[in-house]
Amino acid sequence: MTSTLEDTLAKPEKKRAREWSPQKLAARIARDRPLMLIVLIAILSGWMTISYPESFPHPANFAAVLLDAAQSGILTVGMMILLVGGVFDLSIGSTLAFAGIVAGTLVKEIGLPPLVAFVAGILSGTAIGAINGFIITRLRINALITTLAMQGILRGVTQLIASAGVANLPEGFKPFGQTVFLGLQSPFWVMLVVVLLAWFGMTRTRFFRQFYYIGSNRRAADLSGIKGDQVTFVGFAIMGTLAGLAGTLLASRLSNAVVLAGVGTELRTITAAILGGASLFGGAGTIPGAFLGVLFMALVQNGLIIARVPVFWQSIVIGVVLLVAIGVDQLGQRSK
Amino acid sequence: MQEFHPDFEGLAESYPAAPRLSAHNIVKTFPGVTAVDDVTFEVLPGEIHAMVGENGAGKSTLMHIIAGVYRPDSGHMMLDGRPYAPEDEKAAHRAGIAMVFQEGSLFPPLSIAENIFAGRQPVTRLGLVDFEQMRRHTRELLRDLEVDLEPSTPVIDLSPGQRQLVDIAKALSQQVRLLILDEPTSSLTISEARHLFKILRQLAQRDVAVVYVTHRLAEVFEVADRVTVLKDGKVTGVRRIAETTADELIHLEVGRELSFAPDPTRVSTEAPVVLEVEDLVVPPVTHASLKVRAGEIVCLAGLVGAGRTELCQAIFGLRQRVSGHIRIDGVELTPRHPLDAMRAGIGMVPEDRREGGLFLGMSVAANIAAANMDLVSRRGLIAERQIEQLAAQSVESLRIVTPDLGREVLYLSGGNQQKVLLARWLARQPKLLIVDEPTRGVDVGAKADVYDILRNLAKKGVALLVVSSDLPEVLALAHRIVVMSEGRTVGELDPLEADEVSILQLATPGGVA
Repeated sequence: MTSTLEDTLAKPEKKRAREWSPQKLAARIARDRPLMLIVLIAILSGWMTISYPESFPHPANFAAVLLDAAQSGILTVGMMILLVGGVFDLSIGSTLAFAGIVAGTLVKEIGLPPLVAFVAGILSGTAIGAINGFIITRLRINALITTLAMQGILRGVTQLIASAGVANLPEGFKPFGQTVFLGLQSPFWVMLVVVLLAWFGMTRTRFFRQFYYIGSNRRAADLSGIKGDQVTFVGFAIMGTLAGLAGTLLASRLSNAVVLAGVGTELRTITAAILGGASLFGGAGTIPGAFLGVLFMALVQNGLIIARVPVFWQSIVIGVVLLVAIGVDQLGQRSK
Repeated sequence: MQEFHPDFEGLAESYPAAPRLSAHNIVKTFPGVTAVDDVTFEVLPGEIHAMVGENGAGKSTLMHIIAGVYRPDSGHMMLDGRPYAPEDEKAAHRAGIAMVFQEGSLFPPLSIAENIFAGRQPVTRLGLVDFEQMRRHTRELLRDLEVDLEPSTPVIDLSPGQRQLVDIAKALSQQVRLLILDEPTSSLTISEARHLFKILRQLAQRDVAVVYVTHRLAEVFEVADRVTVLKDGKVTGVRRIAETTADELIHLEVGRELSFAPDPTRVSTEAPVVLEVEDLVVPPVTHASLKVRAGEIVCLAGLVGAGRTELCQAIFGLRQRVSGHIRIDGVELTPRHPLDAMRAGIGMVPEDRREGGLFLGMSVAANIAAANMDLVSRRGLIAERQIEQLAAQSVESLRIVTPDLGREVLYLSGGNQQKVLLARWLARQPKLLIVDEPTRGVDVGAKADVYDILRNLAKKGVALLVVSSDLPEVLALAHRIVVMSEGRTVGELDPLEADEVSILQLATPGGVA
């Protein structure tokens, strides 16, 4: 897999190199965030293959990387949409845990059919997103404060509902997160569908294009007949839904709804989105960028695990990557 | 002006008698453009020297070089007869050169005194900030400027004009020898601008040299002693104000003559009324009534703060009225959002192009498509090709100068940005187009294009409601002038019979002009 990745990359590079000078190529890579990420991912994969030929280039390891990327991928799609619209959501980790607990409680304690519980879990995320959206667009409290408050409130509520969590979920609830298809677990496939739908939406549909206008200039968007509040509200509802989806999938995958699930996911998710070309100023970013950002972060994490780096380093590395990515974004803004 | 400079004539005659600042053969290039091309420029002590030219003529770049922000590629400068080559802005400050920017470099939440002494607060023996001394000095500075403000007032509570004066006070507190003002009046009311001119003359009397960068020729004649005209990075003329005319300056700026003669045609009173505003109350508008007929350009004139923009915003759904009526083609309209107004056939180009109009980081095509998503999509799916077609047609028909349709609108000149905004609405074929300050920050050449566009729209039967603070523009463009004063529509004038004085008389509360 690594070799094919490098092959596909090397070919167009050679082709371009003939028409373009190396400087031009470097400039293009620096400008084109998805391309830059592909190059980074290729370098990282190549390096890992050479350094850890025993453990890294193994189908089982790739399956693990992609499974790890699945949850982040689903969340980062939502975060990318919000960031394009000039807002973000810090409550996703709590929403994720809440949705898992809702689904788990419904299927185990109340005894609802697994599918009903699964859908209810997702919709509980939608509801949280809608509440966020309502507070932000109607009560005009900014997204940072609203979702930070929601993060705290929801984590508490989740612990209130199920002090430690809901363990040993029934068999019928497991297929959602544990079905294996083509050697990969279902969360990956769900993520792939979410990414493709969002990609299509953000490039082709009138509704989702509005996020770019709103994030680029909120006032001008309204003056162009784009209902900024309405669109932002839907954005938060989508984010909540995706967090709900990620939470129920996680509960299903682990057969266990954990109260402390998703702690710190907002950091990873925002990092991946910024890495993928989102700007804190809004109006920029693409879904392929978000996907590649997630993949890169998952590879970094995998590399750290394989290299047996102590686990607290992961958090340090993610923080540093976020700062570097934002630094690059700021430099780009300044050059304008 | 002469009375303030009894020996100005003599000074000018005896040149090159010690200019305050002289710049010789300055060249500054940026990637792809030569912004300043072999410019030689000088300003005398006690002189108010205007600098005019179209956008991109190099005025700002030259001023930034003098203020130490940029370093020239070649050429040299002399300050009071000594070589002057500032390392950076701080060095320019120390040499006594201060630049007041369009949007002042102030700290809004802090007090006036703290702003003026930012970074160099006086301290007591204990090393603590000496607020008492700061306030005392500030009070003296403000008294000099005849500004009645408390030094402890936060800058955020000041009007744009007052902020500008604080910026000037800051410059004065640093023993300024050369004061540079870049478009200082763009956000000032008429009386604030007059006050500023008076202050500038006083400064000139104290031998301060003033460079005044502006778009507004009327101000050049009101305040300046001499004027330097830049075009494409080169000096095309230096004139004494007494010896030049507006026509000559325009010619030097654009290299061609422009006519701003009023349109003598009149729209028949039989023409259908497109917009009717009746007894509208939408604070700060206390009472507004007006009609715009199909094919008619109605200009809303008045002082800043008269409520013109707010009236337009109410029509476009950006403000909710308290009472009164807005009718489009005789049908009552209650727009809760601009989308409602758009559906009724209204378009609006706002006064603050960059904040309220443009998506600066997005392409020309995306900017034009912004209000036309319905036209370029089918069943919710966007057709990229239709966006391009729409943009290509607009660029062609409005003569928008852009390297390509994908270029970020940020990189276009003010005039071309304005055309992009007009294109956005033209595509919808509106019944009524509201244009707030159609040519603010637009250079003279593009101004004529904008006038052509608006006149052609009127010929096609579109009703136009234009807000403008530029009285010659009102007189040139309008078929009918509606004057607002203190939130009320106070009268109507025929531009063929009106002049600037009669408009101002109506517009000024109490009727003083």
